[in-house]
Parts: sequence; structure tokens; C-alpha cells
Amino acid sequence: MSSMVRKGLGYLSLALMFVAIFMVFDWVPTEAEQGIAQRIFYFHVPCAWVAFAAFGIVALAGILYLWLGERMWDDLGYAAAEIGMVFCTLVLLTGSLWAKPIWGVWWTWDSRLTTTFILWLMYGGYLLLRSSADDSPQVARFAAVVGIVAALDVPVVIVSVRLWRTIHPAVLITKTGEHGLEDPRMVVALLVSLAAFTIFFVWLLTLRFAQLRARTRLHRMGQEIALAEMRAGDR
Amino acid sequence: MAAFAAILRKDLRLELRSGESTVALLAISLLILVVMVFALDASRARGAESAAGALWVALVFSGMLGATRALLAERDNNCIRGLLLSPIEPSTLYAAKLAAAFIFMAIAEIGSVILMVLFFNLNFDITLIRLAPILALGTLGFAALATLLAAISNRTRMGDLLLPILAVPIFVPALIAGVKASASALGGTPESAIAEWLKILIAFDVLFVTAGYLLFEYVVRED
Repeated sequence: MSSMVRKGLGYLSLALMFVAIFMVFDWVPTEAEQGIAQRIFYFHVPCAWVAFAAFGIVALAGILYLWLGERMWDDLGYAAAEIGMVFCTLVLLTGSLWAKPIWGVWWTWDSRLTTTFILWLMYGGYLLLRSSADDSPQVARFAAVVGIVAALDVPVVIVSVRLWRTIHPAVLITKTGEHGLEDPRMVVALLVSLAAFTIFFVWLLTLRFAQLRARTRLHRMGQEIALAEMRAGDR
Repeated sequence: MAAFAAILRKDLRLELRSGESTVALLAISLLILVVMVFALDASRARGAESAAGALWVALVFSGMLGATRALLAERDNNCIRGLLLSPIEPSTLYAAKLAAAFIFMAIAEIGSVILMVLFFNLNFDITLIRLAPILALGTLGFAALATLLAAISNRTRMGDLLLPILAVPIFVPALIAGVKASASALGGTPESAIAEWLKILIAFDVLFVTAGYLLFEYVVRED
């Protein structure tokens, strides 16, 4: 992607982010039951969407890397995993901030919270793996395998955690009215936030991806130079 | 199939002569159960639920060490390279290592179940038979996952430290299902309550045995 397009994406996400902030703080009506705390919803949901999308990209890039063997896909997976981890952390943090005034606790083992947390743990492991091994095709394959296995696990996690929680329901205030966006302005604000976060994510992803591509190229060039020097020394 | 049998036979013979893995696994299971008895306050927390929980903690953490023994044994003297050079499919190698890990873990679990009954004041009766399919499915899933991931972790700088970090989060759904099903089985609830959990365990096993079988090649390949 050319740097012009990337710059455009950056400015677009900045502008949309300001619009979203204005909407969330000033324009959208306050939710009747939860009051002011519900406004975190407009950031919480887009973060979750971005985190899940990023982890989807990790798995997809892993499959493509194992299939086609091109380094590009590994760089894409790495970039997506890093950004996904940041947004997944943000989901857990904003969720925690939201849970305290509404449910009365910072954390509860609700099915969605648990699923997100397990996802966070799995991709934390993925990033640890990447950092604990040298930068080589071998690590790229390892990371691809872990990314695929983790993604395969997600549906099983969702089903099992839901079943686990329906048998032992939480003794807390339930999530009533969470999705009851009764005012059309709420829907608009959510959509604008979603767009802002999505473009922000794409911008970050292309930026990090280009950086990793450059690193790979640099690495390869270094190897070629070393090889050429060795050959010159032999002569 | 002949290659599969040959590798498995070799691993089992090694184990029969030294007894290293199974003894170590049993010892660790014993210690984990002892720790759990103290941690769960032995005077109060008796009964099916805590026993099931303790049993699965023992399974996961002894399995972490045990399921990988069969694979790690090949690292010495670089035996793994010999195996990879021989005309054996990597997936066959995976299946054999998985089978060996399953057998080691299963032996340790028989010991763990006996200890659990003693430590948590349960009875030796028919309910223990109902545990068998649950434990077998959980062990198969764990061995499938750990064999694949151990091949990764033992070739990184962090080494064996990385294995639990990768394996435990992925094992969570099977862990939830296994603990719940075991508690129900020991508590004597009807079979239908367990069926839901067994389905999750079966899905997990099918998914990860297949994934391991297909992906092992990419993990052990050298370049």
C-alpha cells in the first residue's frame, strides 16, 4: 500500500475518532437504566470487534503462510496479533470499568468475559512464543500453527463457557437492556465508532505490516551481504 | 501402520525398562493431590466436586510433564532427525508419540483416581467406572495438544516453560467439561447431565487430534 493511501487512512481515522468522541459525550442521549456509564459501550464494542477481527486475521495469515510459504503472510499475522492483543486488553479494561458501576464488581466469570479472557491468554502465549525464539522461518511456522490451533479452539471455548455459566448462573445484576438501543441516535453513534475503530485498526495494521516487511527485507539483505563477503574472503 | 507400531513399541519398551516417565508422573500426581487436600481445607472440602477438581489439576500438570516425555526422549542424541530422515510420515510419528503419551498419562491417572478416593473419602464403587470415559477423552485431548505444542516449545529459548503458557489456555474448554462431568459422575447424577459435557470433550478431541495430525509436519520440519 502506498504511503499516500496510508496517510489518508490515518487522517480519516483521526477525524472519525473526533466525530465519535463528540457523539458519545455530547450528542447521544443517556441510557435510562444504566445512566452515564453506558456510554463506554460505544468504545467497548468497537474494541471487541477489532480484537476479534485481528485474531481472525492471525489464523487466516497462519493458514496462508503454511500453504504458500511466503514470508509476507507471517508478517501480516504478527502485525495483527500485536494489535489484536492491544485491543483485547482494551476490551477487558473498558469492560471492567463498565462492570463496576453496573454489576457492582470489577470482574465476573460471565460467559462473554471468560471467552474474551481466554482469547487474551491464548494470544499472549502466541506473542510470547514469537518473542522467545529468533526471527526465522521456523518461528514463523510455529506461530502459524499456534495461531491456527488457537482459532480452532474459539468455538469450543464459546460453547463450553456458555454451558458452564448457564448451569451456575452469576448471582449478580443481569445484563438487562444492554442491547436495547432504544434511540436511533445510539445506533448511529455506535456505527460511527465502529467505522472509526475499524479504519484506525486498518491504519495501524498497514503501518506495522510495512515496518515488518521492511525488517524482513533488511534481514535478507544483511544475509546476502554476509554471504558475499564470505565468498570474497574465500577468493 | 507398521511404522506406527514400531515407534510405539520402542517407546513402550524404553518405558518398561526404565519406568522413568510413569513413576515420575505418579509421583507428581501424588504430590499435586496432597497439595490440593491442604489447599482445599481437608476437614471441610470433601466430596465429589473438590475431588474432581483436584483430579483434573493433577491431570493437567502431571500431563504437562508426562505427555511430552515421549517426544523429548528423541531430542537426546538428535534421534528426532533420524526419525525424520527415515521414510516415515511426520503424521505417523505424531500418532505414535500421541499414543505413547496417552498410555503414560492413563497409567498415572489410574493411580491418581485411587489416591483421590482415599484422600477425599469417596467409595470404591460403580461411579468410578463412569469416570473412565471422561478421563480417557480428556487425556486424549490433552495428549494431542501437548504433543503438538511440546514439539514447538522445546525448540524455543524459553523451552519447557513455554508449554504450559501455550497449552493451558487452549485446554480450558476440555478442562471445564472434564471437571463438570467428573463432578457429576462422582456425585451420582444421571447420565444425561454428563452427555452435554462429553459432547464438548469429543469435539475437542476430534478437533485437536486432527489438527495435530495435519500440522505436526510443519512443526518438526527442519530447514
